[in-house]
Amino acid sequence: MQPDRFVVLAVVTLPFLGAALTPLVHRVLGERTAYFAAAVAAGSLALVGSLFGTYGTVVVPWIPNYGVSLAFYVDGLALLIGTLASGVGVLVFIYSGGYMHGEPGQAKYYATLLAFMGSMLGVAFAADLIALFVFWELTSVSSFLLIGHYQNAAASRYAARKSMLITVAGGLFMLVGFLLLAVVAAGVPEVDSAFRLAGEGSIIAAAEPMVESMRTQGLFVPVLLLVGVGAATKSAQVPFHIWLPNAMEAPTPVSAFLHSATMVKAGVYLVGRVRPLLLTDEWTLVFGVLGLVTMTVTAILAVAASDIKELLAYSTASHLGLIVAGYGMTEYLGAETGGFHILNHALFKAALFLVAGIVAHEAGTRAIDELGGLANDLPITAAVTAVAALGMAGLPPFNGFYSKEFLFHAVYETAGHFVSHGGSPLWWLLPVVAVFGSVFTFLYSIRFLMLFFGDKPDALGEVHAPPLAMTLPAVVLGGLALVVGLGGVAGTVGVHFTPLESFVGSVIESSVAATGEEGGHHGFSYYLPTEVTPWLVMSTVTIGVGAVTYPFFDRIRDGVRAVRSVDFLRPNWYYDGATEGLDRSSAIDLVQTGHLRTYALALSLALAGLALSAYAAAGVALPTIAYAGLEPALVVVLGVAVIGALAVTAAPSHVSGVLTLSILGFMVAIFYILGSAPDLALTQLVVETLVLVIFLLVLDKLPAFYGTIDRVRAARDAVVAGAVGLTVAVTVLLSTAGTPDDVVAQYFVENSGVPAEHGPTFVDGGGGGNIVNVILVDFRAFDTLGEISVVAMAALSVSTLVAMRERGEHQ
Amino acid sequence: MTLDRKPTVIARTVTRLVVPMILVTAIALLLQGHNLPGGGFIAGVLTVTAFALVYIIYGLDYLETELLDRTPAVRYETESGIVREYGRVFASGLAVAAGSGVAAMVLGYPFLTQAVAFLEHLPVYGELEVASALVFDLGVYAVVVGALLTILAEVGAE
Repeated sequence: MQPDRFVVLAVVTLPFLGAALTPLVHRVLGERTAYFAAAVAAGSLALVGSLFGTYGTVVVPWIPNYGVSLAFYVDGLALLIGTLASGVGVLVFIYSGGYMHGEPGQAKYYATLLAFMGSMLGVAFAADLIALFVFWELTSVSSFLLIGHYQNAAASRYAARKSMLITVAGGLFMLVGFLLLAVVAAGVPEVDSAFRLAGEGSIIAAAEPMVESMRTQGLFVPVLLLVGVGAATKSAQVPFHIWLPNAMEAPTPVSAFLHSATMVKAGVYLVGRVRPLLLTDEWTLVFGVLGLVTMTVTAILAVAASDIKELLAYSTASHLGLIVAGYGMTEYLGAETGGFHILNHALFKAALFLVAGIVAHEAGTRAIDELGGLANDLPITAAVTAVAALGMAGLPPFNGFYSKEFLFHAVYETAGHFVSHGGSPLWWLLPVVAVFGSVFTFLYSIRFLMLFFGDKPDALGEVHAPPLAMTLPAVVLGGLALVVGLGGVAGTVGVHFTPLESFVGSVIESSVAATGEEGGHHGFSYYLPTEVTPWLVMSTVTIGVGAVTYPFFDRIRDGVRAVRSVDFLRPNWYYDGATEGLDRSSAIDLVQTGHLRTYALALSLALAGLALSAYAAAGVALPTIAYAGLEPALVVVLGVAVIGALAVTAAPSHVSGVLTLSILGFMVAIFYILGSAPDLALTQLVVETLVLVIFLLVLDKLPAFYGTIDRVRAARDAVVAGAVGLTVAVTVLLSTAGTPDDVVAQYFVENSGVPAEHGPTFVDGGGGGNIVNVILVDFRAFDTLGEISVVAMAALSVSTLVAMRERGEHQ
Repeated sequence: MTLDRKPTVIARTVTRLVVPMILVTAIALLLQGHNLPGGGFIAGVLTVTAFALVYIIYGLDYLETELLDRTPAVRYETESGIVREYGRVFASGLAVAAGSGVAAMVLGYPFLTQAVAFLEHLPVYGELEVASALVFDLGVYAVVVGALLTILAEVGAE
């Protein structure tokens, strides 16, 4: 069924509308704005829910000249991400109502969070490459604002900058990849619209000719890598994972929402979305290795974490690695792993983040070493944690177990496939690495769970029960995770939870290539293993090794910390080195002097250089100038103007300089009168007068005399001034020499006056005798509107600058 | 900008005479702009020169103390006082200009379409041409006056 156009557009616009209204709502409701935002999110969720069962594209023209449109595509994967964004959104807003109690900047917080939700829904449903890119970057911007929520804390600012730098830079790589795709698509007849990513007549629908065309043009690997960098930065894959742990500076609801359930999923969403297009051996190599390395490295780092949010951050990166690795595998199973784990991870990880928020809020610390035995004080939270953490560990029958089984299965089959087709036996490293990484996942998951058991440290004070607004969302998420887990148990005995399985099936369909994938198209179902298989053995080994090594957790952690402290192994060391080095380097001081004259110098020279070299490159010839027939009056006026200009350089003080300069201005006004342009002359006269007055007012504050000028600088300034003068002169000569055939002036002359025959009213002509003014207020009124906006803005800036200086602010 | 010395009697008297003339001229330029030299921009700038003259000769606070009969706001306090009112002038000017465009849209024409109407048999004038562009021009005028006066007052107060 085709999705309803109105509903799809409403899904994306509703959160932005809510965000725009938030400041007003906050004035009325105060802290209860959280529930307004939750209502908006619930509205979005309902709209997304009404889209279930539909499938297809909705197109709104955007930039038709370039074939760019606001196209939205509804399918399983889009619905999954959309449901997560709006569904987790509802819970996070409710939770925020408790968590953000008494925090500063709430209007900004809720507005940004709603805008983020809208952007994320945009990413989920966008079917146009440019639209996808725009929404993608909008999520980066809102994430920047939310991470930097505590803008007075240096750590927040550092974290916000870091995430912005990494994700936006990655987004630019992705944009280049998208543009290459569009360039290739323009030459493929099966593609109707070069920027359309999904849907009928789109790039993905024409995957086979697209890949062929990319290969012949040698663009396949570049596109794959460029899109890969975009996805990897967004989804915190190694070595770009470093921004995610810092992003935990954000308020915890933000971490749960953006940095576990949704925004970081944008990257894996992209991988899942383009998988049908780019799935090849190179794809498996790039994303399989990227995913497994990320999964393992960040799982090891999570073991070394000292803060519960840090642990969860690394673990998020690790599970995103698992999803990417799943999508990287060739089989239908690969898509199953990716699609199913997106859902599972969002459920258990968002729940765990909310738990972390509750713990930090009620126990007053997030340090792992200071926490323990919380189950007595927080029994409900402990139960939620048990479900979620055991799912994260991959223990049956909890939800994470099934998707991890799919991963093991997919990795095993893929490795076998490549080796049996003459590949290197090194492919067998894939399953080994998968198991190795999973052992660490098991370790940190159990460590997190153990916060609630064992002895309560004496230093830990009294732990209060959290408010209902904070418990409820965590319970809902944990409950959903439990339902998914129990669905597998029921599946084992033949009772299938059909709505869930068919939904996950449709999610998987989105990432499966249309033709010829091994494994075929069968319905999706999941259940506990009933027979011994290699992947069951892999799971058993993981859990067994994990259980055996857990007693040595502290020693493993110290070992990892020792390795982690080696500088050149840390991506952070490179990041900090690069950014700080750039900050300190003298190159910056040379360019950014803070002196207006340096910038003016560079701007003028660049402008002159570019313009002159463009003329030279175009090979234009200077027109010959006819001096004959020049009126004597004009010669006198312009002669005086030139003398005035020369006299400026000899003026002994600012005031006399400005007065001399105005000679030039008034001469130009007389020139206009002689040239029969009374309007221009009037304007020039009045403006010149006013400028003179303002100049004199400003000069009052400057030293009266220039002082001595050193010769080198005078020479330099003369060269720059000469170059700019030359450029302007050449430009004027060239532009006035051209006489295009189709002169727009003709149109104005014909239409601006009162037509010979006319009724009492008419709209098609200017109806004025003054062509200049008719152009300004009628034909070109839009330009004028822009200009007066600039004038108003200039006045505002002057007011602001003056006010800022009076308050003692600088810059 | 207050001068150290008081301006001469000549300057003060001439200003008194000239300022109303400038203002009337400015309004004339605004109204005749459609058919004769003039228009919102030039009229706006001319109006500001009249204000500039008053500021220079009589000082910054003169307008508020003598004409509006109130105590001038504390200097640098941009939140209140005459600068704020100038801000309202250019803001409403912008609204008028944009609103005239929206009005055309409401009537089913593209944004900023202008119309002309001829009124017949009026006393004194006989036939009078009324251009909707005048409303837009009025917006331009208000923006220019408000913005330039803001700048003048702020810079002058320095």
